[in-house]
Amino acid sequence: MFSKVLVANRGEIAVRVQQTLQAMGIPTVAVYSDPDAQAPHVTMADQAYPLNGVSAEETYLDRRKLINLAKEAKAEAIHPGYGFLSEDPSFCADCAEAGLVFIGPSADTISLLGDKIRSKETAIQAGVPVVPSSPLWEPGESHHESFLSQWGFPVLVKAAAAGGGRGMRLVEREEDLQPALESASREAAASFGEGRVFLERFFPAARHVEFQVLADASGNTIHLMERECSVQRRYQKVIEETPSPALDQKLRDTMGESAVALAKSAGYSNAGTVEFLVDAKTGQYYFLEMNARIQVEHPITEETLRLDMVEWQIRIAAGETLNLSQNDVRPSGHALECRIYAEGSYNNFAPSIGTLLSWQPPHGMGIRLDSGVVQGQEVTPYYDSMLAKLVSWGPDRRACIARMSKALEAFPVIGVTTNIPFLRRAIRHPAFTSGNYDTRFVGMYGELTTPDDASQLADAAAALAEQFWQASVPKRLRNQPNIQGRPQGPWDSIRRASFP
Amino acid sequence: MNQLDKTQLDQNQPPPKQRLLQQVHPAPRDHAATDLPPESQASEPPPPTTPAQEQVLQFSAQEQDFWEGRYRLSDGTAVSFQARRIGQQVHLWIGGESFVFSPVTSASRNRGGHQISTDEILCSVPGVVIAVHVSEGDTVAAGQDLLVIESMKTEQVVKSPRDGTVQRVPVQPGDRIDRGMRLVVLVPLEGD
Repeated sequence: MFSKVLVANRGEIAVRVQQTLQAMGIPTVAVYSDPDAQAPHVTMADQAYPLNGVSAEETYLDRRKLINLAKEAKAEAIHPGYGFLSEDPSFCADCAEAGLVFIGPSADTISLLGDKIRSKETAIQAGVPVVPSSPLWEPGESHHESFLSQWGFPVLVKAAAAGGGRGMRLVEREEDLQPALESASREAAASFGEGRVFLERFFPAARHVEFQVLADASGNTIHLMERECSVQRRYQKVIEETPSPALDQKLRDTMGESAVALAKSAGYSNAGTVEFLVDAKTGQYYFLEMNARIQVEHPITEETLRLDMVEWQIRIAAGETLNLSQNDVRPSGHALECRIYAEGSYNNFAPSIGTLLSWQPPHGMGIRLDSGVVQGQEVTPYYDSMLAKLVSWGPDRRACIARMSKALEAFPVIGVTTNIPFLRRAIRHPAFTSGNYDTRFVGMYGELTTPDDASQLADAAAALAEQFWQASVPKRLRNQPNIQGRPQGPWDSIRRASFP
Repeated sequence: MNQLDKTQLDQNQPPPKQRLLQQVHPAPRDHAATDLPPESQASEPPPPTTPAQEQVLQFSAQEQDFWEGRYRLSDGTAVSFQARRIGQQVHLWIGGESFVFSPVTSASRNRGGHQISTDEILCSVPGVVIAVHVSEGDTVAAGQDLLVIESMKTEQVVKSPRDGTVQRVPVQPGDRIDRGMRLVVLVPLEGD
């Protein structure tokens, strides 16, 4: 086993990985950008090194800095987490060259799966159905007439190096295609350093269901059941659950076999996720992509299977054999994850920054929080806006949702706007509780993203605020706006203007 | 006055006749409904004082700028709350929802009169302007795309909150923008 591991990430996943490492008795090395100097992933680490910079490019994406620090700290392996360099084959290759173990699949596998076109070819060879797509497009090239004449609009524009919904656009009309291609290409180039995009057939009513796989270096491959990820905004997942209400046992088995077949034909080793699209009308499923990393939503699988996925990642990377067989995988109960983002629920999910003056996570039976922040911490605009993941487990779906609902109600956050009110509404919505929802869920129900100003909570809030204001502000200063003559802040305007 | 006298609060005076605060977040869709001038509030009779009245049930923290406790809603259910003062704003968390209030300004009191004010569309998060779709003098409809910005690695389209005329666009593509910066100044159409 490794004597020391560097975690090349930040936020909740850097905390999560170090928790397992420390439980396994392996000393951890954290790295941090200037704004993250006081972050929990740094304070918990056995050793921590500054990356000296602010932007992702000069810190968590700087391959040379990370490898030099790993050597300096005498770490034997690097865990990349998700995002950043986790699916960068050249980082993986750099690690090998420097004599470090990259905790993940090989550079060749990452490179194969990172290419959305080649990964689809691999799936076809493995006998797995795929979503029809066009060849790649680069700025300056013409459109794909043959693809469009076969499938028509609406169509999805996707980045070749897609991830996290970035570089993805839904195009409904021909005249919107060119701007969408350009904007998606720009966003993809900024996020992944690869601006090529392609068109993909769009299914209006589809569910997003993925299978977790685990494979060791000698090719022993199993799947750890599915995760339903259809609650999305901006093509990014917000709520995930397992098991999926959309699958019966027969479909689950078939899709699981497909996932394992694909992983095997890609020569996959370590933990990975095979994403499928399930046509809600026909029940037909299609391979979308395989993510060669630990997934954000891995905790729900851990909760129903009672296993530590990060531990398996580390053990497999250290050369251990996967001693679990498919028959050992027996999930129990139901698990749900809500991603807590620093973003407004009622403002087109606009990102929010500020200081977490209150951040008091709920506790209780079946409640787990994977968090990258603590109370008092500054939320900065430099990185992803996900703060934490709230996970609930229950003996059945209904109990699991009820626990989550109570937990979301008991989670005070002040100072940074979060999506918690949206999450509360979403998991209580009849379309969600019935289990009969698809990827249109968020856009379909306006009540999820509209404030209810007539509610008794709003009345109580107004009354309490008045009381508090009177007690908090001396009488001579009350009711005198802009006392210090400061300009109106952004909040003063939000009631009149929508803003980004 | 660091600590409030608890007995004074437990007596729970009736709500003030004139509201000192107005809600600024969540952004209401219907502006007229929630951003009432204080005059119309004053005409409402105060709710009757009965044992089932809304009130603070219990304080677990009661500092000058921070309150925490349990509150009874009008239907009798009890929920947790926290209140913090941040400068001239009250941030309130209650039963899973969040609210922000700021003092009623003379400007917002005048709204509803004949005065036509301009709308400033401000930047909430630092980022970069990617594209600008309107220029000065353009007439825009509610929901129309004004500009595209990138922040937290995501492109976002800024849409017009209402029908109006673009008075000023102080930014151009490539500009780095910071929190509170003006993106577009809009003159709402009369009667809006």
